[in-house]
Amino acid sequence: MARIKNIIALSPTIKRIIFEPADGNLFPPAAAGAHVIVSIPGPTRVWKNAYSLVSKPGKRAQYEIIVRRVTHSRGGSAWLHDHAEIGQMIDLSLPANLFPIDWLAGKHLLLSAGIGVTPFLAYLAALKDVGAAFELHHACKLSEAPAFEALLRPSPHITLHTSRNTLNVTELLARQKLNTHLYVCGPASFMDTVTEAATRAGWPSAKLHTESFGGATGGAPFKARLARAGITINVGPEESLLEALEAAGINAPCLCRGGACGECELPVLGGIPDHHDHFLSDAKRAANNAIMACVSRAKTPELILDL
Amino acid sequence: MIKSRPIYTPFQIDPAGRTHLVATDLAKLPDHIATPEIETWTVETIAPGIAAPAGGMTRAFRSVPDLLSHLSHRLSREAAGFRLYALGKEAFLWDIMNIARAAGLGSGEVFLTQLGSLKRRVYCTHCKTMVEDVATNIVTCPGCGAHLFVRDHFSRRLAAFMGVMVDAEVPGEVPPVEEVYAAWHE
Repeated sequence: MARIKNIIALSPTIKRIIFEPADGNLFPPAAAGAHVIVSIPGPTRVWKNAYSLVSKPGKRAQYEIIVRRVTHSRGGSAWLHDHAEIGQMIDLSLPANLFPIDWLAGKHLLLSAGIGVTPFLAYLAALKDVGAAFELHHACKLSEAPAFEALLRPSPHITLHTSRNTLNVTELLARQKLNTHLYVCGPASFMDTVTEAATRAGWPSAKLHTESFGGATGGAPFKARLARAGITINVGPEESLLEALEAAGINAPCLCRGGACGECELPVLGGIPDHHDHFLSDAKRAANNAIMACVSRAKTPELILDL
Repeated sequence: MIKSRPIYTPFQIDPAGRTHLVATDLAKLPDHIATPEIETWTVETIAPGIAAPAGGMTRAFRSVPDLLSHLSHRLSREAAGFRLYALGKEAFLWDIMNIARAAGLGSGEVFLTQLGSLKRRVYCTHCKTMVEDVATNIVTCPGCGAHLFVRDHFSRRLAAFMGVMVDAEVPGEVPPVEEVYAAWHE
């Protein structure tokens, strides 16, 4: 359990939320790139959203996250903006890190867009601490530039882009030396643009580190029949399969809740999944015998799961 | 074959790369895999100590150490999208890999193809001497004089097979020496 220690508005749409351990002890140490799952107590249900830790890596007295109010929020980010108050108790998961710094790199090239900058705030603290070479390019809307300027404090190594014209990804990637690693975090369209440019530039996958976010989106409702448990659950239009399983009291495995880590993979015995994850290979996707419960849905009215 | 032995892949140019460099410890690559349109570094002399003249995309060096000494400088000037291919003896492959790793190249950027002699570089685990081009199961260490059994244990970091004293229990009791690592291999 954690207590909300402070809430700081960085802009009309962006808030920093600071947590402290509720029991007076220390949080576990977390490295740059780590996230926690925040259980957000909505009026009718609990949302479990993943947020990158932006506090200085290793800092145990408090964890900090930055939350942007999502325009079409399913409720989580809107609740944190409208109802979270100092002193409130909130359940946080242990930190997990699916986006660690590769310390063997000679230089770290960080590309982010929008609220995707959050893991890089922890990166910057860690990289500066050891004097590692880095270059950060952040793209954002003009209206949000003041907030990001305050967070990033642009320098020769940190550039803010408020127009697509100033960030030439292809040129940037082509002039990197062999020991540069590339890290990308942002909305799907930004991730696609950068990873496509990296592939064209011959960038090897081992040096391309990505973290996407956004998590589950809604969709058509469907039924999930759990073959071993012998029950059928309904997945509503505004909830994910994972959330529906949790609501039914089933303790399904999960880690990132964003379709990236592979932890929540479930075997599919019948029906056709509608894949939204970044984890399954094309072959596995086509085989339709596995589903990432956190983000994927169904193309058929019913899925039969080996659970 | 013990499990830790590296596995090598047949030579092919990675189409995802933008620039390529092929390096071999042979004088020339066999015709069926030669890549005349790609920059190729070879080891070929026209007289002792004198490298063969460059021709086309091929640049010859007077020795393997000469080739290796030019590689890190070359890599420091390359940009992302570069691919490096090494073809030759196992020890040469890992000499190349170690230079490549130090320059920041990694998985998906360096490709190793074992080609030519199967003779082994042996590391004496007693005095740390490297013995080049060992064709036999047992070799006498030129550093400390030990009779070394050439194990299948290969160190990627040292680019060498481990040699351990074969007659440690009963000095002088050395099994028959047989030539086992000489064949041409493709």
